[in-house]
Amino acid sequence: MFFRQAHADYHLIRTMLVFALYMMFTPSISLAGKTELSPAAQIGKILFFDTSLSGSGKMACSTCHDPNFAYGPPNSLAVQLGGKKLDLPGTRAVPSLRYKDNTPPYADLMDNPDGISAPGPGGGFTWDGRAATLADQAGIPLLASNEMANKSKKDVVNTIRLSSYSELFRKTFGNDIFNSTDIAFEKASYALQAFQLEDPSFHPYSSKYDLYSSNKIGGDLTDAEKRGMFVFNNPKKGNCFSCHYNGAGLNGSVALFTDFSYSAIGVPRNTKDIPSNRNLKADHAHYDLGICDRSDHPMPENAQYCGMFKTPTLRNVATRQVFFHNGQIKSLREAILFYNTRDTNPERWYPTVNGVVQKFDDLPLQYRENIDKQMPLDGRAAGSVPPLTDQEVDDLIAFLNTLTDDYKPQK
Amino acid sequence: MKKDSRITKHALFRASVVSAAVAGALISFSPVSFAGTGLVTVKGTVAGTYFTPPVNSANPALSTASVTVPSVYQSAKVCFDLNNNAVCDAGEPYTMSKSDGSFLISRIGGGPLVAEVTTASTNSGNPVTQRVSFRLAAAEITAATVSPLAPVSVSITPISTEIVRMMEDTGGSFAAESQAVAARLGVTVSEALSDPNRIANATSKTAVMNESVILTNRFTLAAKMVDRADVSPAALAANPSATSPAISMLEAQQAAMNVEGIPRYDNIFIVMLENKATLSIKGSAYAPNINNYLAAGNQFTSYFATGNPSEPNYTALGGADDFGISDDSQWNCDATGANAPQDLPLPTNTQPGLAKSPFAATCTQTVGVNHNLVNRANLFNALTSNGMSWRTYSESMNPGQDFRTDSVADSAVVATDDVYPPGTLAGNTTTIGNPNLNIPLPAGLYKTKHHPGMAYQNVRSAVEFNSSNRTLGGGQWDSQLLNSSDYAIPAGYNIDQFGTDLQTGNVGNLNFLMPDQCDDMHGITVKGTVAGSTTQVTASDCSSVANNVPTATGGNIITRGDNYVKYIVNKIQASPLWQNTNKRVAIVLMFDEGNATSGFNSCCGWNPGNSTVAKPLVQNPDGTYSVDSTVHNYSNGNRGHGESIFVVLNNQPSAPKGLVDSDYYSHFSFVRTLQDMFQLADPDLDGTYMNRSKYTEGFIASNILDLPEYASSADTHFDSVRPMNHAYVIPAGYTEKQSADISTPAQTGPDSNQINLWSLK
Repeated sequence: MFFRQAHADYHLIRTMLVFALYMMFTPSISLAGKTELSPAAQIGKILFFDTSLSGSGKMACSTCHDPNFAYGPPNSLAVQLGGKKLDLPGTRAVPSLRYKDNTPPYADLMDNPDGISAPGPGGGFTWDGRAATLADQAGIPLLASNEMANKSKKDVVNTIRLSSYSELFRKTFGNDIFNSTDIAFEKASYALQAFQLEDPSFHPYSSKYDLYSSNKIGGDLTDAEKRGMFVFNNPKKGNCFSCHYNGAGLNGSVALFTDFSYSAIGVPRNTKDIPSNRNLKADHAHYDLGICDRSDHPMPENAQYCGMFKTPTLRNVATRQVFFHNGQIKSLREAILFYNTRDTNPERWYPTVNGVVQKFDDLPLQYRENIDKQMPLDGRAAGSVPPLTDQEVDDLIAFLNTLTDDYKPQK
Repeated sequence: MKKDSRITKHALFRASVVSAAVAGALISFSPVSFAGTGLVTVKGTVAGTYFTPPVNSANPALSTASVTVPSVYQSAKVCFDLNNNAVCDAGEPYTMSKSDGSFLISRIGGGPLVAEVTTASTNSGNPVTQRVSFRLAAAEITAATVSPLAPVSVSITPISTEIVRMMEDTGGSFAAESQAVAARLGVTVSEALSDPNRIANATSKTAVMNESVILTNRFTLAAKMVDRADVSPAALAANPSATSPAISMLEAQQAAMNVEGIPRYDNIFIVMLENKATLSIKGSAYAPNINNYLAAGNQFTSYFATGNPSEPNYTALGGADDFGISDDSQWNCDATGANAPQDLPLPTNTQPGLAKSPFAATCTQTVGVNHNLVNRANLFNALTSNGMSWRTYSESMNPGQDFRTDSVADSAVVATDDVYPPGTLAGNTTTIGNPNLNIPLPAGLYKTKHHPGMAYQNVRSAVEFNSSNRTLGGGQWDSQLLNSSDYAIPAGYNIDQFGTDLQTGNVGNLNFLMPDQCDDMHGITVKGTVAGSTTQVTASDCSSVANNVPTATGGNIITRGDNYVKYIVNKIQASPLWQNTNKRVAIVLMFDEGNATSGFNSCCGWNPGNSTVAKPLVQNPDGTYSVDSTVHNYSNGNRGHGESIFVVLNNQPSAPKGLVDSDYYSHFSFVRTLQDMFQLADPDLDGTYMNRSKYTEGFIASNILDLPEYASSADTHFDSVRPMNHAYVIPAGYTEKQSADISTPAQTGPDSNQINLWSLK
């Protein structure tokens, strides 16, 4: 590939010369540089892996956001177990913390990074965007009783104050930093954010797709991967790119595989893994309504946002074992099949009660007009032909596997 | 290793300096014998111009304009060039010019003259740092002969040299070529041939002096090529690895007009359109005019944007880098410390006369990228530093506004909706638009993000900044613009300075034409009302469509932009400037960016993928390069945004048309091409090419340790910059890379021919 056909002009000589020089310097095919972490980020790194920062004493950020699983969950649990005794199920599936560095704060009318789609709900952290920054997000699991289960900010700050790195904390944020619980907690959150923003492991861009799209050796896609990419980008087929946007985006980012937007796609209710979902009595049934669950987006004024969850990046999606906000889907293939057959074979995804398929069983009737009608979820009739063929599903999976980081090209 | 690479690279670039055709023509010249019988006595002057470059300081108070004065060369060696090699050889009769530039020389039979200006010479008392060889045709002496008994009075000047060069290039007569030069400059033949100091007509004198400055630079480059023994282009044409013989002065003087194979043009008009992938325009029934130009002109089919969104692309077009800018934010964003704006006061609404200004005094963003580029190389400063000029013509500005601010809404300026009768918009069967819809001027038709010089402090601080920002007509609101209430309207305000300049010829050498955000296909929200109603109705043809909208879907705004393109091209082509084919004039139709949701975002000097390792380079005094680590978040930039169409039209009747060049080019390649077109750089010196336009394959290879974004390249040709000269032959069997912006299958193998799309004949 590199040596193009020899031809009788000077380019051959030049190519050989350049080849020789380029080959002399191939220290790494990763596109991310080595970065010296700032003092704050160094503290953030310690905090991130510190299990003492939990009520159980056994849970660190990294327990759920495992670096070996693209900072996502290391297992197939729909929600992770937390709390003081590590026996309380979490609220939602754990998202990956990778590729969050370009996520803007939530806005009801965020300008879409594709530069052209109509503004809509977008940005923010967690599945419903309630945290404006990574620092804000960090506080949520630290204090949630079913996650890291610290009693209070003071509890967290005390742990840091008594830790082996308390001196480093003081040195970085000021000798009197522990005088104010709020400020010290804020700095700890900021340190966690700094670690995530600065450490290249949170945005390594080391997938096969990165090699391919940045013209690097080892990036040649197989035929199946190429076909899968076409399915991904074809508005009449997968149409995946319309939300899992892989073009040029905010702050010069490219191919994040999300446009940070929100969408209601009617993921089936997960009654098995999430206890609060088991109560189905109509008068006080619990529904996870995404954006509407936020205190700043109360119903009924914000009814148009109910059921909408954030579009996650698809980078490293093949390393996940649970999918969507409630972890109801347990494999990548199933996730794609859900998109492909939610409408054509709803009985496959939703319970049937008295012979009637309970489509959109996790979204109350009054919010179902919020359901996204884009391909491939175009609302086609049950029993009709799905948008993708079996071959196209296989190809799409092959393509999505190119988005896994730490790809090592075969020599 | 390094030494070898330099030698090889030198030899290589020269292959593209002069096309094979030119080289072939040069070979055919042989020494000419001038064996007249009468004594020819010439009493002449070695004359030209002395050019003091402008000071393009970041600080406007320290910036000054260039000054050009007529000059004479002292201590130039003037000889009869008996073998016509542009050199005073041993044995050729010679004399030295005196302090007033004059010389007296005689020979039986006469002959062509050469004036060798050396570093021992002076230019009106000023030192000469690089020798240059001026010439004068034997036929000019004959033509100037009044009486066989009287000395012939001639001036050896850059223009007399150019006439000789043209005669050798075309085989034309002295009479024909001197008339061609005069017609190009708009002066009489006698003025063209004159010592500039003796031209009475002020306009003619300026025209001759301006040309003299440009030619002096070109012929100085020619002498430099000879001095460093560049390899003969003719030899390289025959054998690309030739290392000898050295280039002759005759060859070099041709090569200097054709730097890297890019011919010299007098004027170029770059029509900037917005945000459309190739697949949205090519073959679109919404863009019939542009498709006609694609067919009638020449097209580059693998042309990539370099940034996303607009501002980085325009900034790259201004100077071949975006320096990390990756948004459309105001030019003072995060510009602090050494980057702080110096063109003060800022044009905020607190300034006298700017009460309506939308400019924010401060701008801080999370990403923290500086938007004010201080002391960075750019085309605008480079042009004026070499005696040339630039213009940006922008449509639908508020009369009297500061050019450094976006335009604002004006309820006193009301136009009616554009109406498209059936058959005028992609085969519409019913009328589109409402003639009764009254639309007030919306905000943001003119945006500074769409100005290729705006991000450069030293452009905004240049003395010609305000006078080079001019109006462009053809807008929907033009006829009502003088009702504007936003700013005080300057006396004699001309809504279409471009139209006027086309008539007078007072355009720039480089002209960026920026239609407003409706006419450039960008699209904004434009609404109005019908009399008697308060209901807001959207205008017929300014709503955005996707960058990669399918041709079947199209969009009214594409037709609007397409009609505007036709308006502007017609206007240029009808002008005396275009009609004067002694001038070489080009029109480029291009888009700032495409879409590229997948495939390759950019090429040719880009920052590949999401590479976070790119840093700009600075040249050290010893010529080597080092990394400049001072630009925060530099690596956010230059990542590209897909492919768009790129059309070149020119006014030369015998220029080849219908050409296609499918080699890879980007905005950086275009900036390099413009540097060649106006001889703003020396191809032998990488450092003379601005910013990323110097990133050729050879340069990247030589500096790969400092350019880690290019490590492990799978295709170094794709990654690197080259001039848009069609010199590269795509290998048989090679399938081109492309983005999702092109819907046709990728080409395999070479183009059908290698003819340069900028060719003049």
